[in-house]
Amino acid sequence: MKRSVIIFAVILFFIPVSVISYRVFVLHYPFFPVAFGKIWHVSMEARWAAKEKNIDIEMGLPANYGGRRVMGERITSGALDFNFFYEEQNRYGLWSGSVDSGEKGSISYHASVLVPSRKPPEKPPALEPYPKGIVEEKRALAERLTAGWKRLSPPERLRAVANAASGEWRPTPPAPADLQEWTALQQEHGPRVSFLILLRAADLSARIVEGLFLDDTIAQGFHSWLEVWTGKKWESLSLETGKIYAHPSKLLPLVIGGYPPFLTAGGSLSEMRWTISQRMQDYWRLHFEHVRGSSRLLDRLSLFHLPAEFQQAFRILLLVPIAALIITILRNVVGFPTFGIFMPVLMALAFRNTGLYYGLGIFTGIMLLGYLLRLGMDKLQLLLVPRLSMILTFVILALAFAALVGSKFDMKGIMAVGLLPIVILTMTIERFFILIEEAGLREAVRTVLGSAAVASISYWIINQEPIQFIFYFYPELLFGVAGIQLLLGRYTGFRLSEIFRFRELRRPS
Amino acid sequence: MIFRAIRELREAGVLGMNGRNAAFILASNDRSRYPSADDKVLTKRLALDHQVPTPPLYHVVEHHGDIAGFEEGLQAHPEFVLKPARGSRGNGIVLIKDRTPAGFVKQSGGVIPKAEFAYHISGILSGIYSLGGQEDKAIFEALIHPDPVFAAVTHVGVPDVRIIVYRGVPVMGMVRLPTKDSDGKANLHQGAIGAGIEIESGTTLTAVHRSRVITHHPDTGNPVSGIQVPHWGKMLLMAARAFEMTGLGYLGIDMIIDKDRGPLLLELNARPGLAIQLANRTGLRERLEKVQKAPPKVLDKPETRVSWALETFRIKEV
Repeated sequence: MKRSVIIFAVILFFIPVSVISYRVFVLHYPFFPVAFGKIWHVSMEARWAAKEKNIDIEMGLPANYGGRRVMGERITSGALDFNFFYEEQNRYGLWSGSVDSGEKGSISYHASVLVPSRKPPEKPPALEPYPKGIVEEKRALAERLTAGWKRLSPPERLRAVANAASGEWRPTPPAPADLQEWTALQQEHGPRVSFLILLRAADLSARIVEGLFLDDTIAQGFHSWLEVWTGKKWESLSLETGKIYAHPSKLLPLVIGGYPPFLTAGGSLSEMRWTISQRMQDYWRLHFEHVRGSSRLLDRLSLFHLPAEFQQAFRILLLVPIAALIITILRNVVGFPTFGIFMPVLMALAFRNTGLYYGLGIFTGIMLLGYLLRLGMDKLQLLLVPRLSMILTFVILALAFAALVGSKFDMKGIMAVGLLPIVILTMTIERFFILIEEAGLREAVRTVLGSAAVASISYWIINQEPIQFIFYFYPELLFGVAGIQLLLGRYTGFRLSEIFRFRELRRPS
Repeated sequence: MIFRAIRELREAGVLGMNGRNAAFILASNDRSRYPSADDKVLTKRLALDHQVPTPPLYHVVEHHGDIAGFEEGLQAHPEFVLKPARGSRGNGIVLIKDRTPAGFVKQSGGVIPKAEFAYHISGILSGIYSLGGQEDKAIFEALIHPDPVFAAVTHVGVPDVRIIVYRGVPVMGMVRLPTKDSDGKANLHQGAIGAGIEIESGTTLTAVHRSRVITHHPDTGNPVSGIQVPHWGKMLLMAARAFEMTGLGYLGIDMIIDKDRGPLLLELNARPGLAIQLANRTGLRERLEKVQKAPPKVLDKPETRVSWALETFRIKEV
């Protein structure tokens, strides 16, 4: 490789390394600015009515526990006072005050909670005693029922208990007399308590958790579930079905340990509503505050100073060079054909409006329609520019028609073609046609597939919020991208596809 | 596994697309010299200056205003070919074998009325057949009667001979034979087959059809190897002269063999494809690197380059 190219590439790599080092070590930027997880905005509103001279409302609220971080809390208390207090890992809000009997008011709580996608490790808990009011003989019954599972590993034991809770005793069913007794116990104490008894008898630590189910939703109250320690982590199970939740990061615990999620004394609480929504903006705002307050040169040069309405565009724009890099690799190293560089990138940008599947569908539809149109027009022998304009016109007509169909069937993706680079698509139709003529259908279809694949990969990349964020935060990384592009520009080795193409020429040594 | 395959390709001296583009096309072909390969009128003029025969040029129409008078330029020639100067892959070409009061008789038999023929010329001038869409010129040249030597291995269409020339040294050649698959066109991408040529003797070797080595023509079933290419020595010399003609260091020269006029330069290609390696079952890079190490004196004259190439690239008997 040429020396000058290597020197230039080294300079390009050196720029981001030095600027980022400066930011991290001198300006104390976070080395890895992305929090891995999702930010949820939770807000609670409720009305209270006093029956006595004093009212106390205690409610479990999100806490910085289990890797979660609570940010930007806002509380309204109206006529009441507000305090936080803690009990073990639980954090409560206490609204209290002297009021007139019969007085009414409302309270609210708003916060953003960062829920990590991976929980930090926790200490193993001590084994809790049996639930209250369980007499010796009932304990003995539970011990007998679980005796066969003692040698299983905790997760397997948990599965056995969960199966038993739903009536499947494996591997060996208990004696019929025991089973009858157990059914009676279940009826007496209810499924929750009997589940806990069985877990305790199987030497598994378990606790009931009251909290919220994180989904873009409005909840009238709390959601409760069970957490069981399986040796390394707490597994979350549904109390109703005994099934393990597939996405425990969608559960936000508020009160752990079987305590009620809220208590009122001297009055009542009504019309409680939790509004839960996922927030995208909050990381950005978090760092924005930090950068805005700084007078350092690099901070003042930060893209965070752009007006908010332009920031969104630059987040995406900064990732376009990475998409171009991917295209370079797919074309020159793998040997995948695409229609130029810009077409797949523009497609990827357009897919942001339509979504990937509709986007690919529209792309395929337009290519097909355009091809047929072009085939029909070939006989007419039109000149280039009017020919392209005509295809463009028909493509737009077809899109308008598709949008009407989409609105009929309520498919938003089809209607949202606004940003679709129709002019580029029209040129692509032309090139597709020429390619079929020159290199045959096989090659042309290969190129279409290559472009679609590259567009999909680029789409995926530019939609990764952590990547968007890292590049927005450290735009100097683009120099590094340019460095890789530079080195690829001097890659003169074989393309992977040529291994196949020239297989007849390979000379085993 | 991949690394082994790559090493095996490298050891076979195969030239890949990236290697061709960076080490040969970018390094030896100056952009400003591309027109001498792309513009057929310019190519012809340069060929004339360098004693390289081309199909005789009868007439050129450059402007729409000149279309009306095009027949005057063709008075002496009952048969001719009309083609766009920048066209490629045979698009827009019309072969005329005779004329009647009704119009021009195509080689395939149909008659084109004169008005329609003029309209076709106008289309060429407007750039219908030039892929970039730029304005173009219409060329009238002599109709070729191909030498029958490849008749047994040609289904339809006209075969041609491609020679790769690096720094004026002919390094590899092949005969491109049209097939039914290629619709009569001598283009390997479209399914034509390419038969390698042993450079010293000028006889054909096995052929490549869509990246696969074959020994017989897929349509006629006749063997493709062992055919003596006529005028081979002359063709090598013509190819070698294309370097002085164009100044392009890495070039594909396409020639056609007329049964009366002998080999004629048809067109030049500044980005010749790599399938010729499969046709000859030999890597190009190996040979190109030998040219890079050739004694400078050899490279001075076309004649010495050809004899050096024959000596260096001939297939030694084992």
